Amino acid sequence: MLLFTLATTVPIEAEPILAKLHGLFGLLSSMTNSILVSMILVVLLVTWAQRATRRMELIPGKAQNFFELIVEGLYEFFEGIVGHHMIAKSFSLLATLFLYIVAANWFGLLPGVGSIGWKEHGELIPLLRPTTADMNTTIGLAIVFMAFWIVWTLREVGLVFFLKHLFGVKGGVKGFMAVALMPIFFFVGIIEVVSILIRPVSLSLRLFGNVFAGENLLTTMMSLGHTLHFPDWLAHLSSVLLPIPFYFLELLIGVLQAFVFALLCAVYLNLSTSHDEEEAEQH
Amino acid sequence: MHILTELFENFGVDWPKFLAQTILFLIVYLVLRRFAFASVINMLEERRRRIEEGQLNAEKIKKQLAEAELRYEEVLRKAHADSKALIEEARAAAEASTNKELQRAIKDAELIIIHAKEAIIIDRQRMIEEVKRDMISLVVATTEKVAGKVLNADDQQRLNKAAAAVLAS
Repeated sequence: MLLFTLATTVPIEAEPILAKLHGLFGLLSSMTNSILVSMILVVLLVTWAQRATRRMELIPGKAQNFFELIVEGLYEFFEGIVGHHMIAKSFSLLATLFLYIVAANWFGLLPGVGSIGWKEHGELIPLLRPTTADMNTTIGLAIVFMAFWIVWTLREVGLVFFLKHLFGVKGGVKGFMAVALMPIFFFVGIIEVVSILIRPVSLSLRLFGNVFAGENLLTTMMSLGHTLHFPDWLAHLSSVLLPIPFYFLELLIGVLQAFVFALLCAVYLNLSTSHDEEEAEQH
Repeated sequence: MHILTELFENFGVDWPKFLAQTILFLIVYLVLRRFAFASVINMLEERRRRIEEGQLNAEKIKKQLAEAELRYEEVLRKAHADSKALIEEARAAAEASTNKELQRAIKDAELIIIHAKEAIIIDRQRMIEEVKRDMISLVVATTEKVAGKVLNADDQQRLNKAAAAVLAS
């Protein structure tokens, strides 16, 4: 029972922070603390990028150099996965996904995020909530990627090749064997379609689950002293000391999850736009 | 589908929030793509191009340097050969000049010797003539003193002839 209580320290839904607005401002009543964080992230990322690239020079300054270091590193990394033919199209999206998720994950570790707010019906409504700890964000990121994925895939390989790639007989089998194997490969194609449809859900749930679990972990560690009815001084001390190791863990997980998300997107793109099979059949 | 809907509902997914989050992400994506990544990638491309150009230029310069070194060695070798030929020529010319000068000096010396010999002969003749004249004068004077008379022109001529015959023998 205690574990169940601990596991639900942070509510699973992002809390509305302007719920009391009505009338013309009623539209803003859907504004949640995670949307507010997303807006802050938009401003931060755009400002950072704008400052770094305002005066581009061949011999870069510190800000430009740091930004270029990240962009160049990501470019080479993603180029190695999606290939030279797709990197120009897909780099911006993959890099934005990575940077946005890292920024969102690390923003959640700032002091005050998830802990500063007000009480309603005895429950704390935090002003800020890590945006990747909101399923609306993660499913949004995944669906944006899948939309681009479909467009790029169809443009790159065409509808016929795409369907052939899904349902066609693979492995260079021809003649009677190909006809005999058709039903099996058609069934495999259906499984493949299901797996493609599941991708946005798996991508978003993985990211949401990890960040949400991290938030719960940190909040639990902070409130552990009070939950276990320690003396006040010890509870306060433990609320500062206990989360410290987990902060380092969350720093690592923050970048790791962003990396996994962007990496999987790149891999999905590579799988659908690779011409290897087509070339192999031509040879 | 029902399971998915239920799942999303349980996780608090609804259209307005989903759209808001998606639009916010798309804003970041579009702004970064338009204003940040494009310029950085162009800059990286420009830098890569310059580095490649630099490498090509370095290769070219290296090649030119190697060619220049070859040319330099060739010129040096040619200059060395030319200088050797010049030295040989100068040595031969000097030898020829020396020989010529020596020959001329020998000839000059020979001429000087011939002239000297001629001068000696002429001087000798002149001296003999002078001696003869003096001797004849002496003979005449002695004879006048011994004989105690002044010799006339015939006597003197005869005495001169006799003295000249003696001296010639």
